[in-house]
Amino acid sequence: MTRFRLLRIIGPPLIPLLVLTAGSELLIRGGIIPGFILPAPSAVVAAVALNTRELLAALGRTALAASLGFLLSVAVGLCAAIALSTSRLVERALYPYTVFFQTVPIIAIAPLLVIWLNYGLKVVVASSFIVSVFPVIANALAGIRSTDPALLDLFRLYGASRSSTLLKLRIPAALPSILTGLRIAGGLAVIGAIVGEFITGYGLGDVIESAKTQQRVDLVFAAVLLASLLGLALFGLINLLSYLALRRWHACEQNG
Amino acid sequence: MRFPAAYPRCVLSAVLGLAAAVAPIAAAARAIAANTTAPTTPPPVIEAPTSPALVKVSLALNWKPEPQFGGFYVGEFTGTYSKHHLDVRILPGGSGTPTVQMVGAGTVEFGIVSADELLIAREHGNDVVALFATFQDCPQGLMVRTSRGFTSIGDIFTHPGTVAMQKGLPYARLLKRKYGFDQVNVVPSPGGDITAFRNDPAFAQQVFLTSEPLVAQKAGIATRTFLVKEIGYNPYTTVLITRRAYLEQNPAVVRDMVAAVQEGWRAYLDDPSVTNRLIQQRNPAMDLETFAASAAAQRPLIENEETARLGLGAMTAQRWTALARQLAELRDIKSAPRAQDCYVWPSK
Repeated sequence: MTRFRLLRIIGPPLIPLLVLTAGSELLIRGGIIPGFILPAPSAVVAAVALNTRELLAALGRTALAASLGFLLSVAVGLCAAIALSTSRLVERALYPYTVFFQTVPIIAIAPLLVIWLNYGLKVVVASSFIVSVFPVIANALAGIRSTDPALLDLFRLYGASRSSTLLKLRIPAALPSILTGLRIAGGLAVIGAIVGEFITGYGLGDVIESAKTQQRVDLVFAAVLLASLLGLALFGLINLLSYLALRRWHACEQNG
Repeated sequence: MRFPAAYPRCVLSAVLGLAAAVAPIAAAARAIAANTTAPTTPPPVIEAPTSPALVKVSLALNWKPEPQFGGFYVGEFTGTYSKHHLDVRILPGGSGTPTVQMVGAGTVEFGIVSADELLIAREHGNDVVALFATFQDCPQGLMVRTSRGFTSIGDIFTHPGTVAMQKGLPYARLLKRKYGFDQVNVVPSPGGDITAFRNDPAFAQQVFLTSEPLVAQKAGIATRTFLVKEIGYNPYTTVLITRRAYLEQNPAVVRDMVAAVQEGWRAYLDDPSVTNRLIQQRNPAMDLETFAASAAAQRPLIENEETARLGLGAMTAQRWTALARQLAELRDIKSAPRAQDCYVWPSK
């Protein structure tokens, strides 16, 4: 019974993976797609095996940078959302500027990032933050704004203060939205980190850049694979957090 | 020189991936079409009849429209291409445009690469061949401020400072082997952007002799550029390539292309002013004065005694063999290929 359940959980995502890897392996081995354009999955695995130490060291650096960028986004994003939710006037005055983070062409300001923060980890964290902060703000704000009016009336009826309404009602009720924001931000934090790494020469971005210069498509994909796994791990962590926070009371963690 | 552009390149890679998936199908379709039509089409006997049918081909550049491609643009502006029965679509490139893969995948018929890129591509099974070598001497170098008083490329690595260059490039690894990177902080190349260079007096960066030093000069900074040629690494640069399959199926088109390009470069070297004005409209970020200075600076790298003897764009087996040996020594390639597999030159 449990084994069957495990299969039901792992099975469905495994099928497309198998089809994709087997399919591309066949297409490349059969000479239909040249290996210098798309490396065979076996070549990617071999590249991981041959460069394990270099890749793991790079992965560690990227993981550190992306996590810092993500945590910064969460902290700044939540504070910003709470501040914006305090009044419609504040929101109208400042919210448009948060959209700036959503649209900032990170490549264009890259040379400046390097000058402001110097080459190294800080640039990577900053890039990760810039790219991932907006979804945190937008989702948290939407969540805080959409508290059930009946419950707000109830709090008012009991004479609850603004701060206790915020802490005991608005924020808990916004949790599902906030967590959705975090899920989006997690993946973006990894992308943002790698963009920053291209600029400053750090972690997986540096490996990708060098491998590309040397036309080592297999190594590029090996690094991309690790970056995806990192994104997946962050996503998993946020899902776990979501489950722990919501399982007792919210429908989204109870159905299915 | 090439910008570590992440987003555009990711997108480009995705597009390329798709193109790669589609290319074989398209190629097969073309092959079928060719097979069915070949017997019925009479062989072209007359050189240039009244037939206005031009062969449409694409040429992918690996950088923005600049004087380094002057001769390639001439044909488009003056009709040299159509005189040679060609309708050439020139695609400007940018930060790390993978022209060698684009040519190999059949996305474009012709592309611009450097000789070392071509050798490494061939090592990975990408059967591309060189047709015309614009720069006989490699214009790649490292730019520093004159005020640092350096007299050789080695000085850059024996004094503390920051060096911006693509670590994966063969010459970067050659420099590392020769001087070590212990004294300097090696960071990615900002690709044409000199902001960091302006900001930090101890900053050295990878440049094309014909681009960044002129921009720095305009910004009022006295610079000196040491060419990588100094350490004996001198690949042909801005080399016109095609893939072997295309060459074998369309020898006449390739011959026309090389002839048109050669004429174009001759015209450009004789008088770049008109062409510069036209190219500049496609790259307004660079002013005409810089265009003129760049065209003047690149001239001795394009035209020398060897080209006087063999013709513009000429290549020799010795040069290809020497480069292949260097790359084999750097382990970029397993063994040096035969020079005659790498290039086609009408005069040999």
